[in-house]
Amino acid sequence: MLRLLVPFVLLAALVGATILTDPPPKPADLTFINGTGEINTLDPQRMSWQLDLRAARLYFEGLTANDVFTWGYDIIPAVAESWDVTDDGRGYTFHLRDDAKWSNGAPVTAHDFVYSWRRALLPDIASDYIAFFRLIEGGGEFYDWRQEALDEYEQRPPSQRTAQAAETLWRDTLEHFDATVALEAVDDRTLRMRLTEPTPYWLDICAFAVFYPVYEPLVSQYERPNPDSARLDLKSGWTKPGRLVCNGPFVVTRWRFKRSMRAEKNPHYWNRDSLAIDSIEMPVIEEPNAMVLAFETGAVDWATDVTVGYRADIIQKKKNFYEENRAAYEALKAQGLDQFEIDRRLPDDPRKNIHVIPAFATYWYNFNCLPKLHDGRDNPFHDPRVRRAFAMSVDKQTLVDQVKRTGEPVAGSLIPPNSIGGYTPPEGLGYDPAAARELLAEAGWPDPARFPTVEIMFNKDAGHDLIAQAVAKDWQRNLGVSVSLDQKELKVYRNDLKNANYMVTRAGWYADYGDPTTFLEVNRTGDGNNDRKYSNPVYDDLLDQARVETDPARRMAILSEAERIIMEEDLPMVPFYHYVTVYMFDPDKLGGINPHPRATQNVFLLDVLGDGKGPDVARTMPVLPPSPAPGADTP
Amino acid sequence: MIGLILRRLLALPVILIVVYTITLTLAWAAPGNPLENPEGRQPPAEVMEAMKRQYNLDSFWRFYISYLDSASGAEYARDLVTGRIAREHNLAAQTDIAARSRPVFDFGPSLQYEDWTVNEIIAGAMPVSITLGALAILIALGIGITAGVVGAVRPNSFADLATLTVALIGISLPTFVIGTVLLLVFGVWWPILPVGGWGGLAQLVMPSLTLSLPFAAYIARLTRMGMIESLGSDYVRTARAKGMGERRVLLAHALKNAFLPVLSFLGPATALAMTGSFIVERVFNVPGMGQHFVNAVLNKDLFLIMGVVLIFATMLIVFNLAVDVMYRWVDPRIA
Repeated sequence: MLRLLVPFVLLAALVGATILTDPPPKPADLTFINGTGEINTLDPQRMSWQLDLRAARLYFEGLTANDVFTWGYDIIPAVAESWDVTDDGRGYTFHLRDDAKWSNGAPVTAHDFVYSWRRALLPDIASDYIAFFRLIEGGGEFYDWRQEALDEYEQRPPSQRTAQAAETLWRDTLEHFDATVALEAVDDRTLRMRLTEPTPYWLDICAFAVFYPVYEPLVSQYERPNPDSARLDLKSGWTKPGRLVCNGPFVVTRWRFKRSMRAEKNPHYWNRDSLAIDSIEMPVIEEPNAMVLAFETGAVDWATDVTVGYRADIIQKKKNFYEENRAAYEALKAQGLDQFEIDRRLPDDPRKNIHVIPAFATYWYNFNCLPKLHDGRDNPFHDPRVRRAFAMSVDKQTLVDQVKRTGEPVAGSLIPPNSIGGYTPPEGLGYDPAAARELLAEAGWPDPARFPTVEIMFNKDAGHDLIAQAVAKDWQRNLGVSVSLDQKELKVYRNDLKNANYMVTRAGWYADYGDPTTFLEVNRTGDGNNDRKYSNPVYDDLLDQARVETDPARRMAILSEAERIIMEEDLPMVPFYHYVTVYMFDPDKLGGINPHPRATQNVFLLDVLGDGKGPDVARTMPVLPPSPAPGADTP
Repeated sequence: MIGLILRRLLALPVILIVVYTITLTLAWAAPGNPLENPEGRQPPAEVMEAMKRQYNLDSFWRFYISYLDSASGAEYARDLVTGRIAREHNLAAQTDIAARSRPVFDFGPSLQYEDWTVNEIIAGAMPVSITLGALAILIALGIGITAGVVGAVRPNSFADLATLTVALIGISLPTFVIGTVLLLVFGVWWPILPVGGWGGLAQLVMPSLTLSLPFAAYIARLTRMGMIESLGSDYVRTARAKGMGERRVLLAHALKNAFLPVLSFLGPATALAMTGSFIVERVFNVPGMGQHFVNAVLNKDLFLIMGVVLIFATMLIVFNLAVDVMYRWVDPRIA
């Protein structure tokens, strides 16, 4: 009989042991959910995901930063306290502050930036944002040289591929970098560079996380040339707590995969006195319902991306709340207050905690612009008039109000209005079925029944099916064409999209930096993200003109004209709406989150109101007198 | 007994290689590019090529061989014999940085989560899954045996019908329904338990209970059948005839024999509870292995897929072996 108890005892001992050795985390000043999953990497040069970039701004600091509480996201000094720009707009000299320190107390020097940016320019590192680094004069040549040298190395017989040979090639690479790339540390506190073209948004790019410095004595230990390929062997591990040396407001003190990450104030950060929180706990919650529950039960202070299926219903509750307080809401809005500040001044109500904020991103449908479809048939969408006709017969307002129901603003242009200082996007084409039918007839399709069946391709996730159904109905009703829906698994969809194996497909874009080119370059002939295979020399020429234009206002006008061409004439894609992100936080308890359309949140600016740390007064956006921010909550 | 263990352990690598080959073939054939970030910016083509080469993703056979080499421990053994590991240690000591930890079975890097190796991910998640599974099985045994004994003592009574009904519900209802209902009741309406996460005993209650119910139901039915059978047997009649107390008859004689079918169910059940808790992990946000399995497949994270599959396969084989050994030990008639 006793023998029967053995399995019970073993199982119980196992449970007891793990529980005792795995205590729950201590409470932190701020607990928030960063995105909807685990961070992909904390290596700034290799980042591309929103949540990674948000974490990077917590742990690292670049030469410059964006003041996220201005509508223009104005550039402010960070590690660099000042900079000079040459008259041709191509030479930059940054002067670094002398109190910028790494988290181990060592000073942050210009050499650290040279090391980190050189890292990004290595094909070995495979940075997603290599194109930005190629803007540095000689950067592109250096990258290509290294790539060729590596290719040549791999052709060598095995006897010539030794640790020593790989090391020699690595030393040559470093010398080659110094000789070709116009990036140099003049002294510890002066960083000088020259760009291939005047780049008015260069300071904005320097504030982008991919340009943040990493600590050479640490990182170089993990990246040694591999004798077989001469490529750097990238070993993970240096981003882990206890090892990571960083220069930002916080340091990582614990990181458990898909569980949580903990950050504590960096005692060596030069601007540490400005921080209103000492510790941050970032649990990972992937299940959308669990995320909402975690917020509602008070386990987290802020959820940065609420994606539950009933999102539309909770947003409706917020609208009802505004409706009930209509007079007060209108009066506050008329004062030009930002949406969070309006919420703070309205009566207490749990419905206040849901926030629809604009994202720097647009949802659209691609038209395949090639003359032939993938299977060899003639492509009716090769004709811009056809694309225009289809674009004009989608009732975007109804789509947003009845199908999406999550507060997205209708998009007439690719670039969200007011998101980039000094730039005015075109109006775009309105909803006009009658004109659309005429246009289609003019394009040689007087009898729409003879138009080939339009195939809309989409991936089955995230409600794309509902949108496709609505769009199909619009096209059938307004144009009289027949439409079929082609639902794909995400990876298949992605493959077909890249190979232009589609007629019409859904797509979208989250932009990276504060310049129109972040959206417009994706339509340049041959661009890696030009999934439409759109090509218009006039458009490409305008982008080229903007490249060399040094007058900012004229440059913006050129870019606006380029966008007008794709949004009012050629329509390689038709934008439906600008994305929104749904936050959950109590505006009376949490300050420091900004409602700007570019939606860059600097977590180190957060202030738990009423906890006695920091000013305990929420920062607000400057009052905008005439028009409120686009995408702001409207009842 | 020793022969059995030896035979099974010798079969283990063979089974694992078959599992490895099938899984890798399927995962390789699935569409999509593991290096691609599905919703974001695409790296330039030459960068993609470089990464493919770096991870041996440009050729099935090169990947097949190189991964088998590192995951099976052959690479480690080779480096140990040739002294490469010792050299790496010396180098690390000179350069004043911790030596790269070299696991014997190296499952490679995660393609999706670049800062983590598959070994680190599994090492973090396996204790969680094992604890959750073990606790669920314990609860299932507690509930199942009690219900089974109660039902067998008074067959067709109200208590028997009630436990049978609950057992039927436990088997039929999917865990995401049970889990969500528990969450709603004990997390939201009557908030006495945390709604998710991992750490304290309180956070374990709901997920392990949810996970245990289907197993409890099955154990209850097995116990009931076994008990009814043994209660009608000669040795129980003898025990009662010689004046033994009813309690001792039930526990010492009837249950001991009725438990054997439960014990044989326990092997696959434990392995299943420890590996197949994906839905429960998701509903309660438990950082276990199941979620990595599913997410790795969705992301086509080849190294992680292979690592998790190999570990799962090993666990299944080892638990079945453990139960077989225990079975023989408890009931010497079987040998």
